Amino acid sequence: MSKKVNKKDIAQLLKEWSQQFNVLAPSRASGVAEMTEWDGKDTSFLEWYRNTVVPPKASFLPPMEEMFRFRKDEEGYRIEPPSKNGQKQLLFGVRPCDARAMAIVDMTFEDAYKDPYYLEKRRNAVLVGMGCTNPCESCFCTSMGTTPTDSTNVDLMLIDIGDYFLIEEVTAKGKELLAKASGLKEATKSDEAEAEKSKETSYNKVTRKLDTTGIKDRLLESFDDEEFWTKTAAKCISCGICTLLCPTCYCFDINDEMVKGEGARFRNWDSCGFPLYTKMPMENPRSEKWRRVRQKVCHKYEFYPMAFDVIACTGCGRCIRLCPVNWDITQVIESVPQKVKGAK
Amino acid sequence: MTVSDITKRPKFFAKDNVYLPHIVVIEKIIEETPGVRTFHFNFKDKKLAREFKFESGQFAQCSVFGVGEAPFCISSSPTRPDHLEFAAQRVGRVTNALHRLGVGAELGFRGPYGNSFPLDSLKGKNLVFVGGGIGLAPLRSLIWNIIDNRDKYNKVDIIYGARTPADLCFRYDLEAWDKDKTINMVTTIDREAEGWTGRVGLVPNVLGEVAPKAKDAVAIVCGPPIMIRFTFPVLEKLGFTPAQMLTTLEKRMKCGIGKCGRCNIGNVYVCRDGPVFSYEQIKNFVSSEY
Amino acid sequence: MEQKLRQEAKALLEQKKIDWIIGFEAGSLKFTTTPLITKDAADTERLVINPFITNNLASFLTEMKGRVAIVAKGCESRSIVSLIQDNKVAREDLVILGVPCPGIIDLAKIERLVGKERDELDDISRDGDKVSVKVNGKKKDFTASDVLFDHCLACELPTPQEYDILLGEERKPSPELKVSGQNIAALKELTSTERWASWEKELSRCIRCYACRNVCPACFCQRCFVEETEPQWVMPMPRWQDNLIFQIIRNIHVAGRCTDCGECERVCPVNIPLRSLTREMYDIVDELFKFKSGMDKDALPLMVHYEQEEAEDLFR
Repeated sequence: MSKKVNKKDIAQLLKEWSQQFNVLAPSRASGVAEMTEWDGKDTSFLEWYRNTVVPPKASFLPPMEEMFRFRKDEEGYRIEPPSKNGQKQLLFGVRPCDARAMAIVDMTFEDAYKDPYYLEKRRNAVLVGMGCTNPCESCFCTSMGTTPTDSTNVDLMLIDIGDYFLIEEVTAKGKELLAKASGLKEATKSDEAEAEKSKETSYNKVTRKLDTTGIKDRLLESFDDEEFWTKTAAKCISCGICTLLCPTCYCFDINDEMVKGEGARFRNWDSCGFPLYTKMPMENPRSEKWRRVRQKVCHKYEFYPMAFDVIACTGCGRCIRLCPVNWDITQVIESVPQKVKGAK
Repeated sequence: MTVSDITKRPKFFAKDNVYLPHIVVIEKIIEETPGVRTFHFNFKDKKLAREFKFESGQFAQCSVFGVGEAPFCISSSPTRPDHLEFAAQRVGRVTNALHRLGVGAELGFRGPYGNSFPLDSLKGKNLVFVGGGIGLAPLRSLIWNIIDNRDKYNKVDIIYGARTPADLCFRYDLEAWDKDKTINMVTTIDREAEGWTGRVGLVPNVLGEVAPKAKDAVAIVCGPPIMIRFTFPVLEKLGFTPAQMLTTLEKRMKCGIGKCGRCNIGNVYVCRDGPVFSYEQIKNFVSSEY
Repeated sequence: MEQKLRQEAKALLEQKKIDWIIGFEAGSLKFTTTPLITKDAADTERLVINPFITNNLASFLTEMKGRVAIVAKGCESRSIVSLIQDNKVAREDLVILGVPCPGIIDLAKIERLVGKERDELDDISRDGDKVSVKVNGKKKDFTASDVLFDHCLACELPTPQEYDILLGEERKPSPELKVSGQNIAALKELTSTERWASWEKELSRCIRCYACRNVCPACFCQRCFVEETEPQWVMPMPRWQDNLIFQIIRNIHVAGRCTDCGECERVCPVNIPLRSLTREMYDIVDELFKFKSGMDKDALPLMVHYEQEEAEDLFR
């Protein structure tokens, strides 16, 4: 039988977990909704409908990260690799779309050469998911391989059943978390039925739908349709909002800085939407805006599926909500022409 | 094309972290042209210097600490491993900083990355090298590799050109290859220049004049993108199939290992699935951005 | 007004008097609009004028080629005048469809006042000075000045002064302009140490998306100073100090061109009160040079012209 926890007891639960983990929870304290270190008492996020603005990927791939330090002395350069702090993180309140997005990004960072920075943080983290009871009009997760209450990519999933959350145990890590928790009650059969109903209600509240059948091929055939892409890109302003705040985007830049013989190499978020992203000394293959917009759409809906069999989008809706010009990926995908013959 | 299998590629990670560079020391600097320098260097760690392996065509991310990192193809041949070489043209922040360094300066080195020229498929073939400007750098690694195993390969034609005589790189190589009786060395410059008594003509045009036979041949082309784009049609006219044409592609790179995203052409990452590609592969790219 | 706009726009395109029309159409979310940029006369049917036409469309002008008809509220017309004065766009290439504007509704303010997120609201409508919000069948009324954008409350030019066709009754600026908005007033109360700490907190959130720069009609440089690598003026990493330098220098660069349209603050995804900086710069420019960008269509651009009777003794 599953366990359940009263919403009023969540603070206590988080306090207990704080003894072993660095607990992160959604909060607006910094000025914007993001996962931050839990302050010890705030659980107002339990009432939120919307996702955080900054996705939880920031816990594994931070906006800015020091890769290593270096120093110059009489004998030359010394490189100081980062110390493995092995800190265990517990991310509480992760939405299914963001959890699925993490699994999608994992594929890149695990593939071929392993990325030590991302993977170390990821392996030391436990995810406690929170299902969505009121999906927004920008959400389209049900068309992108997940649901508002999908537990596939988290260790525990909380399903809202009124005054309580039903807790779904998903992984061994999750089970271990529960074993040490107090204040949990046994869920009744009626609780479980309530949970199933809650899941169905949430699922049906997602009104935005996107049909992605054949999108990989439609994009392949429309790649050189300059007219279509120019029209599609017309109102884009080439900022980085949709990509930097997308949970499945992961592009980064690497930069060095040194002052008086001491410095570090950093990596920071970057975007294929920026004009200089692909700039070389003699040419820039994507100096034109329509090429960059095309790259973003094709990377997510064509190239990533070619490499990993999954569309790099989970329908979280941030890009649609936060775009300064309301450029909408679902409208664009729907409008990609079918079988364009030799259009150039 | 799915993700390249990198399991068979040599890997030399510092402390298990693919992003940590090794320290290398500059041993010699050759000024090829006013804007191009060749750097001879070696690992500070002597053990690594002995163990390091790479293949012709591969590149490395070399850095000037505090300034930045950039991809450079390793221009020395794996058959001559007493030191490593790369050539850099002064075009931006990192290369400018590089050109201000002297012998003894230390650099960061991460590599080798990328795929390499498919030596097995070149054995027994007639090889036609077509190079322009600094594009000779990756080719020279392969050319010396072939010379050091000469009997495994057939005819060798090298057609190399630059804008002006002052822009010709690796002149010491051009002289050595000219003297080599098993090599047909053709050097050209774009336009007439005072004091130049050699061939004149754009590289693709000179290639058309030399007209190497396509039968049992493989062409390896490297140079500025515009030269490559004009060379392929000439080769096609000579009867070369796209599978018989190889080249190395260039893109802006940062991680060098297929993670940061920027060097892609469709689903292919030039740093991981390249930089060596055949024209046949290029024609099959899902993207026309090359 | 909408009908007239659609007719005029369609006629202009069909008669080939223009190549492009830039306006607003319904967005893909409730209570939003999105820019409509098209060459197709049939698309003009989708043009709208409503309380949610937030964008400053003038920022698209510098990348358009050919003759353009542009829907312009007062703020757009100021930006357009500024761009014309800087020779970034030619007056004869434009057909300005002027829209007198009563102010644009700030959804964030409504969300705060109603205590609900925009997805839960059924309807928002405006009737003169009253804005009605319908939630769960119940109606709540607000005074317009409580729910309009801060920059709309400070609007000095609701009716475009430069236009080809005016699509409505001229509106005069409100007699009581609320210049500061909440953020600026609060900042001015702080000591400079406290203000520095406040900016550290605000700018720590910045992710360097550059939306503030890209929506700004005054930022029309082909290559921005943050993109330079030789020398590297600002590091591209989102450290709060680098973010602050970026904002300060951007403000200095647009001084004399910024019209306080408020777009930078609206688009910031992490809620940085950018208008506090831009408005302060705007007021400093007015104080020093008695100049407000885009207000006088015959003025010369402030930062690139020089009179002998300049304020600075340095240049005499």
